[in-house]
Amino acid sequence: MTVRPARLLSALIGCGLIALTSASGSVLAQEKVLRIGMTAADIPRTLGQPDQGFEGNRFTGIPMYDALTQWDLSKADAPSVLIPGLAASWAVDAADKTKWVFKLRPGAKFHDGSAFDADAVVWNVQKVLDKDARHFDASQVGVTASRMPTLRSARKIDELTVELTTSEPDSFLPLNLTNLFMASPAHWEAKLKAVPASVTDPAERAKQAWVAFAADASGTGPFKMSRFVPRERLEVVKNTAYWDPKRTPTIDKVVMLPLPEANARTAALLSGQVDWIEAPAPDAIPQIKSRGFTVYSNPQPHIWPWQLSFAEGSPWLDKRVRHAANLCINRGELKELLGGMMGEAKGIVSPDHPWWGNPSFDVKFDPDAARKLMAEAGHSAAKPLKVKVQVSASGSGQMQPLPMNEYLQESLRQCYFDVELDVLEWNTLFTNWRRGAKDPSASGANAINVTAATMDPFFAMVRFVSTKTFPPVSNNWGFFGNDEFDALIATARTTFEDKERDAALARLHARIVEEAPFVFVAHDVGPRAMSPKVKGVVQPKSWFIDIAPMRVE
Amino acid sequence: MIFYLLRRIVYTVPIMLGVAFFCFLLVHISPGDPLVAILPPDASVELQRQLMTLYGFDRSWPEQFFGWLWRALQGDLGTSIATGRPVADEVFRAVGNTLMLACLATLIGFLLGSLFGFVAGYFSNSWVDRAASALSVLGVSVPHYWLGMVMVIVFSAWLGWLPPTGAGPGGSDQWAWDWAHIQYMVLPAVTMSVIPMGIIARTVRALVADILAQEFVVGLKAKGMTDSGIFLHVVKNAAPTALAVMGLQLGYLLGGSILIETVFSWPGTGFLLNSAIFQRDLPLLQGTILVLAMFFVLLNLLVDTLQTAIDPRIQR
Amino acid sequence: MTTLNAGAAPAPVYERSAGFWSGVLKKLARDPVAIGAAAVLLALVLIALFAPLITPHDPYQTSLLKRLRPIGFENFLLGTDELGRDLLSRLMLGARLSLFMGIVPVLIAFVLGSAIGILAGYAGGLANTLIMRTIDVLYAFPSVLLAIALSGALGAGIGNALLSLTIVFIPPIARVAESVTTQVRGRDFVEAARASGAGAFTIVRVHVLGNVLGPIFVYATSLIAVSMILASGLSFLGLGVRPPEPEWGLMLNTLRTAIYTQPWVAALPGVMIFITSISFNLLSDSLRSAMDVKN
Repeated sequence: MTVRPARLLSALIGCGLIALTSASGSVLAQEKVLRIGMTAADIPRTLGQPDQGFEGNRFTGIPMYDALTQWDLSKADAPSVLIPGLAASWAVDAADKTKWVFKLRPGAKFHDGSAFDADAVVWNVQKVLDKDARHFDASQVGVTASRMPTLRSARKIDELTVELTTSEPDSFLPLNLTNLFMASPAHWEAKLKAVPASVTDPAERAKQAWVAFAADASGTGPFKMSRFVPRERLEVVKNTAYWDPKRTPTIDKVVMLPLPEANARTAALLSGQVDWIEAPAPDAIPQIKSRGFTVYSNPQPHIWPWQLSFAEGSPWLDKRVRHAANLCINRGELKELLGGMMGEAKGIVSPDHPWWGNPSFDVKFDPDAARKLMAEAGHSAAKPLKVKVQVSASGSGQMQPLPMNEYLQESLRQCYFDVELDVLEWNTLFTNWRRGAKDPSASGANAINVTAATMDPFFAMVRFVSTKTFPPVSNNWGFFGNDEFDALIATARTTFEDKERDAALARLHARIVEEAPFVFVAHDVGPRAMSPKVKGVVQPKSWFIDIAPMRVE
Repeated sequence: MIFYLLRRIVYTVPIMLGVAFFCFLLVHISPGDPLVAILPPDASVELQRQLMTLYGFDRSWPEQFFGWLWRALQGDLGTSIATGRPVADEVFRAVGNTLMLACLATLIGFLLGSLFGFVAGYFSNSWVDRAASALSVLGVSVPHYWLGMVMVIVFSAWLGWLPPTGAGPGGSDQWAWDWAHIQYMVLPAVTMSVIPMGIIARTVRALVADILAQEFVVGLKAKGMTDSGIFLHVVKNAAPTALAVMGLQLGYLLGGSILIETVFSWPGTGFLLNSAIFQRDLPLLQGTILVLAMFFVLLNLLVDTLQTAIDPRIQR
Repeated sequence: MTTLNAGAAPAPVYERSAGFWSGVLKKLARDPVAIGAAAVLLALVLIALFAPLITPHDPYQTSLLKRLRPIGFENFLLGTDELGRDLLSRLMLGARLSLFMGIVPVLIAFVLGSAIGILAGYAGGLANTLIMRTIDVLYAFPSVLLAIALSGALGAGIGNALLSLTIVFIPPIARVAESVTTQVRGRDFVEAARASGAGAFTIVRVHVLGNVLGPIFVYATSLIAVSMILASGLSFLGLGVRPPEPEWGLMLNTLRTAIYTQPWVAALPGVMIFITSISFNLLSDSLRSAMDVKN
């Protein structure tokens, strides 16, 4: 790398002069363009299995790809439920509950023109689950395999029928499959062929084919990838041949920009550089509104909790203390702190959710009751209970972790808690979360503040309260669990009728709230600010939002 | 001179090796899981072990280091864990963008800095000197990321004159030297130029004052040499050092652009470094630091060489 | 922020007479800029020392009803921050950590760097080469890059930030120390001492230290401002001090989202960093010119 500053400098000067003399006439095309400022520091991966958490699924998953099943994003006033996607219908085998048959939607096509069929499903299952498959890609395994923990394999029955096999009976499978996006096998093969012949190692060829695929992807979604500048911008154009007429876009082009800095996002919106920003800084919202922009929000399937430790010696082993902490937080006031951009948590899910289940313990603000419980447990203002919480300064889905935790620290003081905050870097905290409260990395902390997506029952509840998910297996950081909870989980997992499964999950949820292995604090509301020229926006009660039906005027 | 140059180059080799080793060490002392960027929170131990093997993190340190070094020498800096793209592509694209910004910033800083410094040194100890010196001290004392934020608020959000973020309306790969694109550089470049401005002004002031105080200049003055003659003399003698400082400043801006690029979302090496740190993308972190440090080492060598060539007074 | 690698030349070495330091002090006392800067810094140090006694409010007391109030609101002289805490109190208490992060890394680096540099300079030969080449490796990184890379690798936290900054400052100080020691080593008075049979330790203690520490000290003072700005930059990126501790860089970070609603309040921590670093720079400049025997 030899760069000559002198030459570069002279080039700069020369070009600067040319620039000053040339007119700057930028031609505004008549096409309808929607420009989005994301919070991610990088464009989520475009090859079908996005990274960057659910923001990835939101922007490079759902718009460009479809999965066998999908979330209904068309309503703002009801919980987002599961609906058919590329699969038209599905059912579990009556005799062997580890086998599922999925009937595929006829007529769906990939952006490259190839047909979506049973072979494509098998191929896409193999890309993350079959190490011997030529197109197996280790880099996609991490984000995918854990979101469908029981899926093992796929088998073609006929052109439009596939059989999926799970490791154990699992009624959550259809929910999990929203995370497996269908990429085009034909397009990938074309990319593989284009890898220079000088590369001979098959694994290396496959890797390079995936890199090429990511730069020019092909799915079945309502938008097609048209331009990709790594770390800077992704452009997608409408797919007029989309299989669902209700979701065939009218917007010609969507441009996505990674803008991780909240103030930069706000400035980009206010100066007209983008039409839509994710997560504007709460304090900037009044200014944004006063300039004529619309701020959308709706509680998401998300919980912002303190997850409590049940390891030996933890102060939270006393249920009175857990209830006291839950009763000592004025969530309404906290909501005000966040400029209204928060949902008040009364459990993992909200009371309008099918999994709610009417718990007998009401999570609300009642400091007198909290102090009474604490007094019974032997604590007082003079003899406060010391607790230590690991928190982060930022992080995906963590909302405003510092002000919020400082607020909890202050609030709990009035109920005889002496809270020590141990602030860690986000990834360190995240790693510790998997290691559990007994690991030295917890350094004596007896609670941890990691937020969770609660769309599917495993992520919402099972992983926190099962004895099978103790660290390092999964996220039962605090080692909470007993036979009762294991039985409740087993029942829900093996109940295959939708309504009954939800009822079983509701019983589980009610018991979780009653036992309170968490301090339930908030739900994120996914605030986003948009220019008034973006019409037809529905912000569902979901992590996701459907760009396809929107219009730009 | 040739001998000096050769010796200088020979010295550089072990330093480069040391730098490479330090880059390697740096990311291997970091706590946390190297695969956290792609490992989901509830990944099983088995999956974790499987990926560790696939990415080669289970091998011994020396094996990893020499493997990495050997491939780096062939231009292969590995693959980014988070994006799966080759690190070398990512880094060199970013280096180009940062160079553009840093060159402009250095140029602005050099022109303004020389002006202030020269004026201050020429009118040494007058009020002009104090005013110009004050400006240069301001330059090195201001927290520039803060200055950048304030500029965005004022010039983008309030006045709407300049775009706040990004590298051009179509991304850096469609960069063109017209106003539609250059306007994106103005705020970050001006913010960035504040430090070199301050440093160059201080250097030039000291040089000019020094040269003017030298006895033979005083003598020339007494003999009735014209002001323009003295001016030329001063410029000729101050230029090598000032240019050397400028060259080094370019190097610092390349390495120190992280805060400014973060504030302005400029797709350069600082921006890359920031996401590498926060995504814990170790191969990317390693590669970016390595390239920046190597660039700096080479730049130092270049500046040294040029300075020796230009300035015959330097005897080594 | 990057002055540190700019290679500020150490003041030339002359044998110091007994009255040298009092002369320097006398010169400083006649320099209004030095007096002003010193006064500002003294005031800041006093505020930092006595902060817990003199803050008008509890710097940790949050109030959601009184968040982001303007300057002069009720009895909040400088307004309140994003959690309704009194900004003046937090700025006063914040002076502690900010000054600490400015001075302590430089101080540690001053001790270690001088020791390394003097050792290398006095020993000369192979030992010098080995030590200085190792130092050169660290010196090959631009300071900001090194600080951020180290902190990024080690993780957030005041201890790690302190460690990173110290590592950043050791190489330049060691290099200055080495070059000054090498100069002094060749001087007549050292040769004379050696000829008269003085031991190495005595020579270093009496002749080298007395003549070397001054220039290194001046150089080190110029690094304090750099250290402060770097430390606050680390906090700004989320790699430095952890909340709820008040530190100016971190306050700037947490207040920056409020820059649309209360720009003046949000700008204040930046102003404090600015004032302090400019005072250190001015004082360091004055010190340097006061020690320059030529003037």
